[in-house]
Amino acid sequence: MTTKIDRRNFLKVLGLGGAGAALAGCDMPSYATMEEGEEQVFSYLAPEEYMVPGIGIWYASTCLQCAAGCGVHGRVREGRALKLEGNPDTAVNKGKLCQMGQAALQTHYNPDRITKPRIGGKEATWPEALAYIKANASGAPVWLTGSIGGHQAVMLDTHLSASGGGKHYAVETVNAQAWQAACADTLGDAHPELHIDKASSVLSFGADFLGTWISPVKFMTDYGEFRGAPRGVLTVVEPAMTLSGANADHWVAARPGSQAAVALGVAHMLATEYAVSTSALPAGAVDAIVAMTPERVSELSGVDAKTLSKIADTLMSNHPSLVIGDGGYETAAAAMTLNLMLGNIGATITPGVELIPADLGVRGGSTKALADFASDAQAGRIGTVFITGTNPVFTAPGGLMMKDALAKIDLKVAVALFEDETTQMCDVVLPLASPLEDWGTHVPPSGAGRGEIHVQQPLMEKLHPDVLGLGDILLGLSQDAGADGLADFDDYYAYLRTAISAMIGTDLETAWQAVLQAGKVQAPAADRVFAANGALTTNVPETNAPTAGQLSLITTARQGLFDGRHANLPWLQEAPDQISKAVWDSWAEIHPATAAGLGLKDGDYVTITSDNGAITTRVFLYKGVHPDAIAVPMGRGHTHYGRYATGIGVNPLSLLDGTADGRTGEFTNTTSVRVQATGDNRHLVRLMDVDRQYGRKLAATISADQHRRNQGGA
Amino acid sequence: MPSLLGNIFKGWADYSKGNEEGGHHDYEHMYALVIDLDRCTGCNACSTACYAENNLPVVGEDKFGARQAMHWMRVERYFDEPDMDPDMGPDTSNIEDANETGTQSRGASFLPMMCQHCNAAPCEPVCPVGATYHTVDGLNAQVYNRCIGSRYCANNCPFRVRYFNFYDNSESWPAPMEQQLNPDLSVRSKGVMEKCSMCLQRTRAARDTAKREGRELKDGDIQTACQQTCPTSAILFGDLLDEASAISKVWKNHQVKLGTYKQDKENPELRGYRIFEELNVDTKVLYLERVREV
Repeated sequence: MTTKIDRRNFLKVLGLGGAGAALAGCDMPSYATMEEGEEQVFSYLAPEEYMVPGIGIWYASTCLQCAAGCGVHGRVREGRALKLEGNPDTAVNKGKLCQMGQAALQTHYNPDRITKPRIGGKEATWPEALAYIKANASGAPVWLTGSIGGHQAVMLDTHLSASGGGKHYAVETVNAQAWQAACADTLGDAHPELHIDKASSVLSFGADFLGTWISPVKFMTDYGEFRGAPRGVLTVVEPAMTLSGANADHWVAARPGSQAAVALGVAHMLATEYAVSTSALPAGAVDAIVAMTPERVSELSGVDAKTLSKIADTLMSNHPSLVIGDGGYETAAAAMTLNLMLGNIGATITPGVELIPADLGVRGGSTKALADFASDAQAGRIGTVFITGTNPVFTAPGGLMMKDALAKIDLKVAVALFEDETTQMCDVVLPLASPLEDWGTHVPPSGAGRGEIHVQQPLMEKLHPDVLGLGDILLGLSQDAGADGLADFDDYYAYLRTAISAMIGTDLETAWQAVLQAGKVQAPAADRVFAANGALTTNVPETNAPTAGQLSLITTARQGLFDGRHANLPWLQEAPDQISKAVWDSWAEIHPATAAGLGLKDGDYVTITSDNGAITTRVFLYKGVHPDAIAVPMGRGHTHYGRYATGIGVNPLSLLDGTADGRTGEFTNTTSVRVQATGDNRHLVRLMDVDRQYGRKLAATISADQHRRNQGGA
Repeated sequence: MPSLLGNIFKGWADYSKGNEEGGHHDYEHMYALVIDLDRCTGCNACSTACYAENNLPVVGEDKFGARQAMHWMRVERYFDEPDMDPDMGPDTSNIEDANETGTQSRGASFLPMMCQHCNAAPCEPVCPVGATYHTVDGLNAQVYNRCIGSRYCANNCPFRVRYFNFYDNSESWPAPMEQQLNPDLSVRSKGVMEKCSMCLQRTRAARDTAKREGRELKDGDIQTACQQTCPTSAILFGDLLDEASAISKVWKNHQVKLGTYKQDKENPELRGYRIFEELNVDTKVLYLERVREV
């Protein structure tokens, strides 16, 4: 603020100071005015640059609440970030944001943030912490992170190669690795662009594209178009209802692990009843389709021929379609065979883009990386690990014995925002700046922006002076390890600015400001070309019924607490789960018929036991889960994650044994469990305890036929 | 200075005009919403955006269980579809089924529910202190400073969208969380009723901006927090008195009129409807029916 305060204005300020102070606490418009439109009364004498009292300024940045990398605009007033909205100029989220993105403010302002470095649990200074790391490092350090891309990934690689060539393990519990592997095998492109908005029908086999899959906000904006005139039809086949399933026109419950059989059964139906050619398929896939008769499908999945025929009919009469699938390579591969048969390649699935600076690309996290990390640690191959953006102790399947594996590592350094189950085991904890305080670039995995990289810039001063951004920490470590070409950079900002200036071919201040204002920059990129390589395999398991007397446990992910990382955000703890409407606690979804067999009613506590442990939680009875399954959403059950998450609910991931999928090495998210009532019952706190409308016209429905008669209701 | 008698005559004239021309009000604007249930995925982004925008406190499990949560915008979820198709009769197969081992055949029905800003709001006449009233913007407003906490209004609301501060909720923002609070509106204290204001502070800000830029307020200048974040664009906000506005067109296209308790639609299959219209509270939120393949 450079406006001079002259005597007249000074008196105004003096004279109205009392009124101004009183106003600050009242219901105020966005502008510090005495009357609407009169903006002469400032409560500060010399505000900082860009800080005009009462005026909100919007800065572009990037959301880091999940790996989708949506662009955001943050409203900043009096130097504080107050509200996030989607950046309307991005192709990924088009001005929209999900509830996890909205709650990023609570990640930033969280009262449980780590504010100072810690050594062995005791507060220390940065020089002490760094000296400790140097003195105790053993062997080449490795990094264990979440999904990471952009210039931070480049810097991370730099640090690894300068310090002995250790490995990078990118871990993501909720991922799309199976789908990406199937895409790579059929199209030669692991990241094709999906066009839900251009499809007339979408068939999903357990890929929760509206909730947690790849880029949910991107898919939701497309879904809005998909439901416009002419309206697309959504069919979902899965063992437990996801948010996508909850929006389906046809929802089909399949026995856990049998979605691939259903998909191949639909293909069988298309080939036999509708004479759809299978010539686009590799020979092995054709054999699998021929073998998957409706009788066989029914045996494996419990889905009858009539349902298969309805799915096939929907696909045939609503063209083009899009078939997606995840939660196992076989499922994804079977979904891709349907896309090949229906001619969706090139229509609703188009080639993605390849960034020309390839090292900027996303290192998409997997659970295979977690298994690799655990086995490397168990074998004593890791001496020093840096951990950031992931909480392996919480998210690892119980069968992986992650705590034991970590204990075998000499030096464990966490770069973290919060104390959690993993930082608790670390020797050194370095305080990380929040995503709203940090610089970075992010490559959205949906490919919608065709090579647009989203730029993350701080929305405000650091809340805690001793925290440091991830880029700064990586730069410092790399410089310390003697990496080439970094000596000139004082901080990560300087590095990033130089790198982006090189990318856009100018280092003019105006060009840089334009990049920041847009919140994105176009990286050199080339369209990929599909190249079928016929490697698609479709081995359907012989059986997938749970052991007699047991149920298949399904660990589900929800847009909200996600894989548990958002359990410390009170808005999301109190946001009713989309399906069960429960708040502040875990629950287990179970089919009423199964519950009756076990003598259970709503709110009864059950102990769910696998070979890896047991959890006790309440049951929620409903028909959106297969009778052979019990579904427990992940996210809660933290033992050490701040005041809002600790001691609330249970963690179903602890029951999994870490069995890996043959093709991708990803964990299967099911296991056989015994379910036993404890005898206790307590009402599960939910937004609403009724599931029905009792004939009132609340959430009204109209049939699609009526809708079509009116051309979509104008 | 208008005389008492003059006021009575004016009041009577307004009242009779309202009776003769359905839905007549002396408003400068008549802000309203449209919610397309076919686009709504029930993701809850609107509700969380509302928490962020409107300084809503988090109350925790026990108070939530006691129905003391403060979610101005809540997303209800139903599993039955009572009026799916008049020829088919009510469909409750998702809930009860002759074959008890049956699973759901369709998804759920989601319903974002917030203050309906009734033109004939039942909450208003019962307030003993006039803390809730209608503004010239056609909004049902709550004056926190005037509210004495009688809770008559909440008792009278057919939609249960008024939320009472039974407690001082300041522990909801332990430092530094209080820095996130939106300074454009107050934090309500114990003993005060609150509810959706259709982001009144955004309306005022947009009006100030328009005035400063020397122009009229135009359609689209104001977005409510829920509308702005909604990933599927299921929510539309606007001025019904502006005939050219997008929202006026939707109301017109769906043949839904204000000022009646029974719509006389030329085409009854159009999706627009108002909840509890038969109560004659004249709500200003138009819902568009969810569509489902049979």
